[in-house]
Amino acid sequence: MAWTWFHRLASPPHVYRVARRLTPWLAWPAAVLIIAGLIGGLVLAPPDYQQGDGYRIIYVHAPSAWMSLLVYATMAVAAGIGLIWRMKVAHAVAAASAPIGASFTFAALVTGSLWGAPMWGTYWQWDPRLTSELILLFLYLGYMGLRSAFDDLQRADRVSAVLAVVGVVNVPIIHYSVVWWNSLHQPPSLMYLGKPTMPPSMFVPLLVMLVGFTLFYGALLLVRLRGEVLSRERAASWVREAVRP
Amino acid sequence: MRAFLDMGGYWPYVWPAYAVTLAVMALNIIWARRLLERSRKEALRRLAIGGTEK
Repeated sequence: MAWTWFHRLASPPHVYRVARRLTPWLAWPAAVLIIAGLIGGLVLAPPDYQQGDGYRIIYVHAPSAWMSLLVYATMAVAAGIGLIWRMKVAHAVAAASAPIGASFTFAALVTGSLWGAPMWGTYWQWDPRLTSELILLFLYLGYMGLRSAFDDLQRADRVSAVLAVVGVVNVPIIHYSVVWWNSLHQPPSLMYLGKPTMPPSMFVPLLVMLVGFTLFYGALLLVRLRGEVLSRERAASWVREAVRP
Repeated sequence: MRAFLDMGGYWPYVWPAYAVTLAVMALNIIWARRLLERSRKEALRRLAIGGTEK
């Protein structure tokens, strides 16, 4: 049947097994790509004609910002699936994603601030892009705080999922904030296919970093997901097999 | 090498930005492993308590 793969995704032992087997296949390519991207961005890419070497912050800032949005979107979709189909594994994906997303949102804000200081002359400005990204951090923290307020994991899953789903409206706002409003922030560098605004020597390391960060999220998610799935299982016989040292 | 470290005078911004991002990545690896380890230990404890029921 075409749908069996979907049903197997709902099966905790299956997910636990697949996650364990898949992790190195994401983690190692992520490590290689991130190291290559660092060398490409810090050493091989030429300095910018306006910003000199200061623009090199883009190679950590843009991937962090990309992660902040990708992880939130994943979290909201997973939470929605969990709510609609009452799927424990989907809630586990959402719960596993939140701390990853929060930490990369923090990184995006700090690196952006460090980039803004020399280029804009200020570390912070209540600008649409910056403000909506800060709200994203608060959404992540609110989600995590809400979860920790419940002892019952199933209740925590359901209540926090509502917040995750409602908060997703902020994702397009962040993305389009630089288009809709007058913003200090520059428009996206390569989100529109076909016309990168940079030469390949600058653009390729950025692309490598974006893919590397995405795979890194995948690897982190799979490890955390195993933990989340285990803590949602009460005395299931497969757990005995899974946790055997 | 000096020129590389100097980053065209932008070193006080470039290097902290890279340091923060790499620290966030390292912390994520530590946190993920710790979460899995904690869940495994908890599961083992539950199994030890309810070991006879199934």
